[in-house]
Amino acid sequence: MKRSWQILALLMVLLLVVTSCSPAPTGDDPAPADPAETEDPADEEEPEEPAEPADEEEELIIAQGADAVSLDPHGQNDQSSSRVRVQMFDTLLMQDKNMEFQPLLATSWEQIDDLTVEFKLREGVKFHNGEDFGAKDVIYSIQRAIASPQAGHIVDMIDGDKLEEVDNLTVRVVTKEPFGPLLAHLSHPAAAITNEKAVTDAGDDIDITPVGTGPYKLKEWARGDYIILERNDDYWGEPAKTKTIRFRAVSENANRTIELETGGVHIAYDILPNDISKVEDNSDLQLFRDKNFSTTYVGFNAQKEPFDNKLVRQAINHAVNMDEIVEAVYYGTGNKASGPLGANVTFANTELEPYEYNPELAKEMLAEAGAEDISLVIWTNDNKIRMDIAEIMQNQLQAVGINATSEVVEWGAYLSQTAAGEHDMFILGWTTVTGDADYGLYALFHSSQFGDAGNRTFYKNERVDELLEIGRTATSVEDREAAYKEAQEIIREDAPWIFTWNGEDLTGASNRVSGFELHPAGHYRLHNVSLGN
Amino acid sequence: MEKKNNTPAPTQQVAQKRNQWKEVWRRLRQNKMAMVGLAILIILALAAIFADVIAPNGFDNQVIKDRFQTPNSTHWFGTDNLGRGVFDRVIHGARVSLSIGIISVSIAIVFGGLLGALAGFYGGRVDNVIMRSMDILLAIPSILLAISIVSALGGGLFNVMLAVGISSIPGYARIVRASVITLKGQEFIEAARAIGANDSRIIMKHIIPNSLAPIIVQGTLGVAGAILSAAGLSFIGLGLSPPNPEWGAMLSGGRDYIRDHMHMTLFPGLMIMATIFALNLLGDGLRDALDPKLKN
Amino acid sequence: MLRYIARRLLLLIPVILGVTLITFTMLYFTPGDPARLTLGEQAGAEQLEQFREIHGLNDGYVVRFVNYIKNAVFHQDLGLSYRNRQPVFAEVASRFPTTLKLAGLGVLVAISIGIPVGIISATKQYSLFDSVSMIFALIGVSMPNFWQGMLMILFFSVYLKWLPSSGFNTFQQMILPALTIGTSTAAVITRMTRSSMLEVIRQDYIRTARAKGQKESKIITRHALGNAMIPIVTVIGLQFGYLLGGAVLTESIFGIPGVGRLMVDAIKQKDYPVVQGGVLFIAVTFSVVNLFIDILYAYLDPRIRSQYK
Repeated sequence: MKRSWQILALLMVLLLVVTSCSPAPTGDDPAPADPAETEDPADEEEPEEPAEPADEEEELIIAQGADAVSLDPHGQNDQSSSRVRVQMFDTLLMQDKNMEFQPLLATSWEQIDDLTVEFKLREGVKFHNGEDFGAKDVIYSIQRAIASPQAGHIVDMIDGDKLEEVDNLTVRVVTKEPFGPLLAHLSHPAAAITNEKAVTDAGDDIDITPVGTGPYKLKEWARGDYIILERNDDYWGEPAKTKTIRFRAVSENANRTIELETGGVHIAYDILPNDISKVEDNSDLQLFRDKNFSTTYVGFNAQKEPFDNKLVRQAINHAVNMDEIVEAVYYGTGNKASGPLGANVTFANTELEPYEYNPELAKEMLAEAGAEDISLVIWTNDNKIRMDIAEIMQNQLQAVGINATSEVVEWGAYLSQTAAGEHDMFILGWTTVTGDADYGLYALFHSSQFGDAGNRTFYKNERVDELLEIGRTATSVEDREAAYKEAQEIIREDAPWIFTWNGEDLTGASNRVSGFELHPAGHYRLHNVSLGN
Repeated sequence: MEKKNNTPAPTQQVAQKRNQWKEVWRRLRQNKMAMVGLAILIILALAAIFADVIAPNGFDNQVIKDRFQTPNSTHWFGTDNLGRGVFDRVIHGARVSLSIGIISVSIAIVFGGLLGALAGFYGGRVDNVIMRSMDILLAIPSILLAISIVSALGGGLFNVMLAVGISSIPGYARIVRASVITLKGQEFIEAARAIGANDSRIIMKHIIPNSLAPIIVQGTLGVAGAILSAAGLSFIGLGLSPPNPEWGAMLSGGRDYIRDHMHMTLFPGLMIMATIFALNLLGDGLRDALDPKLKN
Repeated sequence: MLRYIARRLLLLIPVILGVTLITFTMLYFTPGDPARLTLGEQAGAEQLEQFREIHGLNDGYVVRFVNYIKNAVFHQDLGLSYRNRQPVFAEVASRFPTTLKLAGLGVLVAISIGIPVGIISATKQYSLFDSVSMIFALIGVSMPNFWQGMLMILFFSVYLKWLPSSGFNTFQQMILPALTIGTSTAAVITRMTRSSMLEVIRQDYIRTARAKGQKESKIITRHALGNAMIPIVTVIGLQFGYLLGGAVLTESIFGIPGVGRLMVDAIKQKDYPVVQGGVLFIAVTFSVVNLFIDILYAYLDPRIRSQYK
């Protein structure tokens, strides 16, 4: 029976062989066996001594919550993908952190009439594949974005057929209707410019073969694990400060901070609020925090009794102690919402007052509305923060005599059932990605957007509809501003939401990192970031 | 199982069975480890039944200002991020976790046992069809199968029980089938048939009682497995959700706070461990007690 | 033997069909709109419709199932992921090496702990070593994997700062996950080794060997272990097969991009083609591993081998 020993030995050897073969990256990497790549950064191997060969520059390692899904500029439009894509793709223009428009591929622009904007394009720009950039690329890319199910909603107000190449460096963009926030939409990463030849060459591999004009290009992608970007030495602007960047997917929230502390990464996106003090108190680390464009809200079903009564909705707003929720759930980050938009969104009405926490008043109002014994269910999906909010809110509502319960609904069912209006109350978030009031209000409060399109509260107010239309179609900044300010006042008064929270970005970084800057849309550009000693 | 009489009179058979279980109990009692396991389980069961008395605050009594307390005299296991007593929740969680374990295993035993008995008893095509379908279920790792079922049915207590139950059906079907096949050939079954008992009577009166031993052992260990699976489901956000104090959901809820407030995850983890530990001790003891050949 | 293997491989066909049918049906009736889930809350109605058109979501159950089978059989095409439009097979296969590595390392750790401890326990039955190691083995079985993983991160990454908490590329990154999987698997193997050894030791031929005055160590290694090995190898194989799809929780805790994680993400995102293809892939691997064990079993045990002819 010696055989069984042989078998066991064989098994062990087999296992060793199996384990030592490393997974091949699936990116469009021509030489996956390049020793420089398979070698791990010294920083990960030996956290104690980051001594690297002098000629080999250390790579910048970033942890985010998930790996990118697609690197096609007009592909899956999720935050993790966008955060990688903005390093590789340029848009015509961009919004800086103060929401001022800055030139990128367009050097200047001019409103020709209500429907048309003319862009002068930058000269001498080359794509990563060596092709020259010109008007044809802009037209191709915008048409491609319009046709994309993933990116279409950002640019589909543009009339794809009427895009016009005036000359090789001049292009006219024409919208179907007058559209005030056009420039903000063209600044969105989903309006990035790519090259037709690159797309054709990539074929089915387009999601893993990004070709843009940006400061970085893709070097290697081990899907689900990490992405390595490399400096584009032919970049039209100032070349990126760091040669290579590695994005690592670290899904467990607490682990991103742990990795930062142990030196596994240099920058950790979206750290937990309860980890703030760990970063701040650590002399080797620095914390970046700033309000972003996200808002969390608890929506009513404004067509269902008793929530069709404005008084009831207001009463519930008064019954909720939002300070307690912000403190308990968000550790005091962000701020409690006073209206539908965060203060940093263009045209936000910053004069709105948050609903005062006043359980007595709430009870009176409920009595006045004849709705003393309400039973309601607060729905949430399986997002931990939302579940906590639901639980606390449920208790607070019980304190004013409302029989509130909370229920967690699986995400898919959650979206379809809230779209169908089967809910009493639900918790959702919204990010005004363009930083413009139109994006943060139209889909959520216009009555044409009932259900799946975004208005899951089924809130309808004719004056609000009208104002939102003015805001969208007017091209003068003053007209838009006036319309949005009034709309927000009415919405705050009508209270189709319990206005909950405006978000804050929390990013931890090593002290060696310099040049990092947050952006309220959450897509941080990294070409100015460098790693000191 | 010893079988001496070819045609036992009903009364005699019952008496003999009673003796047999007495004997099993006697042997079990001699096994100290099994008794420790049984004692732990009884304590847990009592805690689950009298949860409202032991932890009168209930599992969702939020006192936000008291959150994150470390274990102290008022809150024996400390408080969680919403100021609820971890002790209260863990005790009420025993109710949830134990009932998930027991009910999902019952589901699996009833359906698996039935399918296995049919397959083993009739053989041939019936056997083939049933066991091939079991092979299909067996080809998917049970946790993955449970995850898929829960995502199709949605979360919630009953669906979790059902998912965990369904995913462990094939195991029981196999055990019952095997023991039925060995039993089928034995003389007392043929004798029963000779005196005119029909199939369902034979299955119900003879086959099932006689294949109980391996099922009891497997079932005891199965409860452990079911509790672990359910905890795993909750942990990845597909099982029970807050405020439900299921232990896996508590672990999941505490994971973001593990560095500063470890007691939030420590106690539910320990509870799961103690339960599984006890079930394993008891299961091992039962195995030895039911199969005297093994014990020396 | 060859005929036996061929027959077993043929039996895989109904399993594959069955798995496909079950998963397909289950996914079809799962609530939630894949278009909305994939495109996000902000996509418009037009884009949703377009997406449904591209992925054939407007067709009925039968049409979709027939199309799926047709593509799979005639074009070896399991479809494209909804989310990143990559071929499902490539997507799953690209994660497989990581999972294989995790399972392999885990089992390796488990074998190197489990078998020696099990043997010593059996030869010194009722000794202190036996009791202690059996209690540890029981604890290993009783500890939820994910909890153990969390505690290890806390201890080794946060307090001691010895090892990284996530990732699976460097050797250091692999230690904690391998230990997490390894200890619980070791517990199973230890228990199996012990009971299997105990059973063998009672056999007549061992007594004969003892009576002949052979050295105890020789009896154990030469005679007992060989026969005790059969069920142990089976358990190892079963555990390994299970880990190839079932290491979901460990993969989540340590952020390991394996097949299990891919599946859970796909299930949550309603990326049906990936779920479908992944389950199929796992089922086939699992069945093949089981077949391999059975063959090994036959190889080890001449009595069984003779049945296969």
